[in-house]
Amino acid sequence: MRDTSLRQAAALLLDYATRIAPPASREWGQAMRGELSFVKGPWAALAWAFGGASVMAKHALMAIFIPGRSQGIPPGDELFAKNVSLGKAALVAGAGCILIALLFFGAPPFRQAFRVALKPWTFIFQMASRNLQPGFENLAKRAEAQHDPEGLAFCAVRQQNSHESVRLAEEAVRLNPNLIWVYAVVGMRHPELDEVRPWIEKLERWDPQNSLFHLIEAESLDRFHFRRGVWTPPMREQEQAWQSAMAAAFQSPKFDDYLDRVAGLNRRVVPRYGFYDPYEVASRDQLDLPDTAFENSERFANSLLRTGEDLEARNDRKSALEKYWTVAHFGQTIDSQGRTGFEHLIGTSLQAMAYRQLQAFSVKGGDQAEATLFAYLAAKFDPLSGEQPGFPGESTFGLDTAKRNAAVVQISGLMILVFSGLLVIAAAILLVGGSASRRTPSAAQRAKPVATMVLLSSAAGLLFSSVTLYLTYRPYWYIFQSAIVTGGRSQARDLLFFLNDTKMPSGASPRVVNLLLHSLLYSGSPDFLFYVWTGVTLLGLIGLVLIFLRHFLGRPRVNRLQNHPRVP
Amino acid sequence: MKTPRISPETLRVLESFLERPTGWHYGYELSRETKLKSGTLYPILMRLEKHKLLEARWVATQDGVPPRHTYRLTPDGLELARTQSEEARSRWMVQQPALSRS
Repeated sequence: MRDTSLRQAAALLLDYATRIAPPASREWGQAMRGELSFVKGPWAALAWAFGGASVMAKHALMAIFIPGRSQGIPPGDELFAKNVSLGKAALVAGAGCILIALLFFGAPPFRQAFRVALKPWTFIFQMASRNLQPGFENLAKRAEAQHDPEGLAFCAVRQQNSHESVRLAEEAVRLNPNLIWVYAVVGMRHPELDEVRPWIEKLERWDPQNSLFHLIEAESLDRFHFRRGVWTPPMREQEQAWQSAMAAAFQSPKFDDYLDRVAGLNRRVVPRYGFYDPYEVASRDQLDLPDTAFENSERFANSLLRTGEDLEARNDRKSALEKYWTVAHFGQTIDSQGRTGFEHLIGTSLQAMAYRQLQAFSVKGGDQAEATLFAYLAAKFDPLSGEQPGFPGESTFGLDTAKRNAAVVQISGLMILVFSGLLVIAAAILLVGGSASRRTPSAAQRAKPVATMVLLSSAAGLLFSSVTLYLTYRPYWYIFQSAIVTGGRSQARDLLFFLNDTKMPSGASPRVVNLLLHSLLYSGSPDFLFYVWTGVTLLGLIGLVLIFLRHFLGRPRVNRLQNHPRVP
Repeated sequence: MKTPRISPETLRVLESFLERPTGWHYGYELSRETKLKSGTLYPILMRLEKHKLLEARWVATQDGVPPRHTYRLTPDGLELARTQSEEARSRWMVQQPALSRS
């Protein structure tokens, strides 16, 4: 039974291979098919069929790549050289794959995808050299040379070096006073700087109703007590200043973080300088309210609510209600006018706190209908259990998709490098083998068939990796383009999730990477990771060279003995 | 006439033909004699046939079994096979003492 099945499979294989072969070769396929019935043993028959099918497949391939040589038989001296035609077909096919793969580099999405794919490695070396924003240095120099205030503002809002950020911001505003809002964005990132307070005074005159400046001022006062990582209790005047800043923020009717102006800046500056770095342009992690804005707002809201309770206890219900609504209104302002997830979180949390208090207030006042409404609103805005309305930039793909795509992109990029390396080695062997004398075959000449196969498979791998990289990254390219060209934030969160996942080597634990980065930044051993990765790379290269030397140079030269005839 | 470069596998096939120089040979039979697999043997047969060094014909078989292809060297093929075989033998004889010494 099994024997018959194997023979049938062998016959099917040969029949199919004969059908795909060019017409001139089909007779030979039928010849091998004819012999199949006489091959002894089912496994031998299957092996016979595989051999025959490979011959037919080779002819089919050659008919595609070398039209007119349907039987792949070169003229002249090469008549009896085994696999000469196959080698040429492989080289042509490999060259085709390499050419198509290289054409991908002409596409901007692919170039960006390739840079993103190599980010884990470049990121680590950037960490080692303590230069995390190498592109900005050049960009700032160019903007300064051209006296371009927008270019300077673009660098200022993203520069991680606080002093450089201040310098660029002041230069940008000096050249164009309308860019004064840049002070607010820089102030959000670096509220601890001494320059922030004079900036806030200017900003309050320019946009008097915006609560943002008061939040930055409060943050600045708060950080003052944490200088050099040590908590210094605030003096009475400082605490009063903080209370005043927060009270002013809660009374302001407007909240504007100027991120729409940042988006406008992106639209104009990115194409002007060709600065298509998604990590710097798309990342909004740093362009947000300061970390402790949530804590500060909650702390001040709680103090207002407690004051309201005290007023209630003293039967001053009107004043108490005013306090509760101050919190609710500020929450609504931040929630409705904020542009980041963090701002929405602050807004909804404050609203939930205020509505809970208002619910209790209504119950005490005997208004059950109002209490039910406030209970509903409190539950709705509760950040933990509430039904949060979608806000711009919400994720569509989800975290798992971002993680998977990041891994695919990283592996594809790495494979492109590996296959390129193999291609260079195989091409070098073929070049050396081609120039060597045929009468005294060198190691390189003996390795030519292997090198040809390595070249073909590497070229195919290169093409496959390039296609995979392009197709996987393409959606993110469109999100990025949409963010730059239209300022649209649709799916911006997907892009951020994806970019965050591509920052660290695939499979690495974020905890371990963070630990390493922390030790790198703060332990005083900045070269640790640099040496580790340099060592790993060098060991890999040495290993590869040793494998090749052992395989091609250390092998016994048996080929010299193969030319002897069978002695009668 | 310039002697073409010949591979060891082709030489084995030619020598197999030389054992019955005027007889017809089946592909499977040649494969067993030369120990070459179908994927190596048939490209050699195809090249020989293309250059008129080999002639082929179909032989009918019993019902239900596909016809078989058989092969025989042409006079040119026979001459080439003899020449190549002689050359290879003399080359081997020259190499033998050197190999013994090494």
